[in-house]
Amino acid sequence: MAPNSQTILVVGGGIAGISAAIEAAEAGADVVLLERSPTLGGRVAGLNRYFPKLCHPTCGLEINYQRIKKNKNIKLFTMAQVATVEGQAGNYKVTVKTTPRHVNAKCTACGACSEAATSEIPNPFNYGLDTVKAAYLPHEMAFPMRYVIDGSVVGTPEGDAIKSSCKYDAVDLEEKEKTFDLTVGAIIWATGWKPYDAARIEPYSYSESPDIITNVEMERLAAHNGPTKGQIVRPSDGEPARKVALIQCAGSRDTNHLPYCSAICCLGSLKHAAFVRQQYDDSQVDIYYIDIRAHDKLEAFYQKVKADSGIHFIKSKPGSIVVGEDGRPTVCGEDTLGRDIYANAYDIVVLATGMEPCSAREYRVPVEVEMDDYGFIVPKTGNGSGIFSAGVAQGPNDVSTSVQTATAAALRAIQAVRG
Amino acid sequence: MTANMAATIPGQSARKYDLGFARWVYENIEGGDKLSMCMQCGVCSGSCPLGTEMDYGPRKLFMMVRAGMKDAVLKANTMYNCTSCYSCVVRCPRGVPVQYILQDLGRAAARMGYQEAKTTDNARFAKAFIWSTRKFGRTDERLFTFKYYLSFGLGEAIKKAMANMSIAIKLVKTKRMHLGMPHRIKGTKDLNAILAKAAEIEKREQGI
Repeated sequence: MAPNSQTILVVGGGIAGISAAIEAAEAGADVVLLERSPTLGGRVAGLNRYFPKLCHPTCGLEINYQRIKKNKNIKLFTMAQVATVEGQAGNYKVTVKTTPRHVNAKCTACGACSEAATSEIPNPFNYGLDTVKAAYLPHEMAFPMRYVIDGSVVGTPEGDAIKSSCKYDAVDLEEKEKTFDLTVGAIIWATGWKPYDAARIEPYSYSESPDIITNVEMERLAAHNGPTKGQIVRPSDGEPARKVALIQCAGSRDTNHLPYCSAICCLGSLKHAAFVRQQYDDSQVDIYYIDIRAHDKLEAFYQKVKADSGIHFIKSKPGSIVVGEDGRPTVCGEDTLGRDIYANAYDIVVLATGMEPCSAREYRVPVEVEMDDYGFIVPKTGNGSGIFSAGVAQGPNDVSTSVQTATAAALRAIQAVRG
Repeated sequence: MTANMAATIPGQSARKYDLGFARWVYENIEGGDKLSMCMQCGVCSGSCPLGTEMDYGPRKLFMMVRAGMKDAVLKANTMYNCTSCYSCVVRCPRGVPVQYILQDLGRAAARMGYQEAKTTDNARFAKAFIWSTRKFGRTDERLFTFKYYLSFGLGEAIKKAMANMSIAIKLVKTKRMHLGMPHRIKGTKDLNAILAKAAEIEKREQGI
């Protein structure tokens, strides 16, 4: 039986979803790309620099956005997620639910609405490290380049002020949650990951001190478009963070938390060490590790970092992090190479938290998919199925591996819909 | 070659290696089967409130088990400094029941007649505790504490008791310790029969 639909649905607009959508579309397939948040870019957009070449994410995303703009085969829906899926390969009936952006396509991103807004909300792009106006652009690399108005101002005088500030009639405060149906032949789940909740690692006191932060928050501190405009400072008092501890396997490789290696955190922390050392000449960075997993070509980067006399490697998984009497976070444990019991105080402590697949906890995939023990979706669910996965939805992958899995998923999906 | 390597390192005495020791621990020590999961991360020793008192700490002790350093392991003080706070068990990322293993290694050392195991504070304390349990079916704080002190000799016992007198008075005042005859349970005989049976089962299981 010939497939009824040759359209490929890609769920998730991070680096993997974008790549899968573009690859499939450039090969001639019709693609619908759904993204839950107001913009494409996913976790990559939130990085300061990313591997393998330590580029700013602007670079890779810009190229991909251009490819999306030039390709007529891709239909993009932001603030949209899959509610239900029925049917089988070649003929999936998908119901999509959209949440209101309150800004339509007439938006020119002039920013007048943001100036008119008075209330502030926690900034999701900066992991809540700062706030943003209730009418905001998600970030400077947003795609579509369109503002969002938070639902909290709807029906308030502030909302009316925002609406009247727009010269282009782009504000639509009446917009409601909507659903619409799609018929697709194959689905690629590229639902990505979220940082493991550091507060769950109780001995590391993440909730006890603002100076104990996670690796994704460190990326935001180091980024020019972050809450501190790229200054790596103590969140508690804004003083320079000259003495920094980086804690590996915070939640990963731990049967109490994520039993698997999250794969990206070692190189992420090596990169953070380099950020701090670049910013302050007199800085000291201590990396606490079980073993460093700098894979593939990136071993060279590890060697470079290791050669820096301001960066120390301490082979130890800390037992606890406590807030000292002077308010500074103090890392306690045993140096396994010398059996010294240490308690070292720092300006900031960065927990290299791992990647948890969104499909494990936060987001239930509304169709039968094959998952591993940890909630990652296997690349291909069963024979003759049109369900595939890509990126970190598939396993703890770095950016370049995510892109490879996306290309593979695109090819599998094309084969599924073309029979 | 490997067995005698240590002897050739200057400043280190010859060590005896028993290459079957690790397997013996895996198979005979409670929780020992999980010991092979240890990845030497150091969380146990780093979390231990008495980590600085221990000669090796659990992480290093486990590596010594693997290396077959039977004598050094069974002479260690690490096991007897464990207060069973379970921080290591709770935090171990590989699910190794650290405290169980230490406890049973300590018992094994005592059973095998290692002198160190018999003269530690913990061993003295445990002996006094079980004496009180057998005799009264309860812990009588005064008598069992003094029994423990006595293991150091009479003169030392009196010195220790005097040093703790103010604590004892406070305990009496707050009714945490009573004066007069020791409280007993009704069936000390039955209790001792139970304890004897337990010892018998233990011996049978250990094939002694």
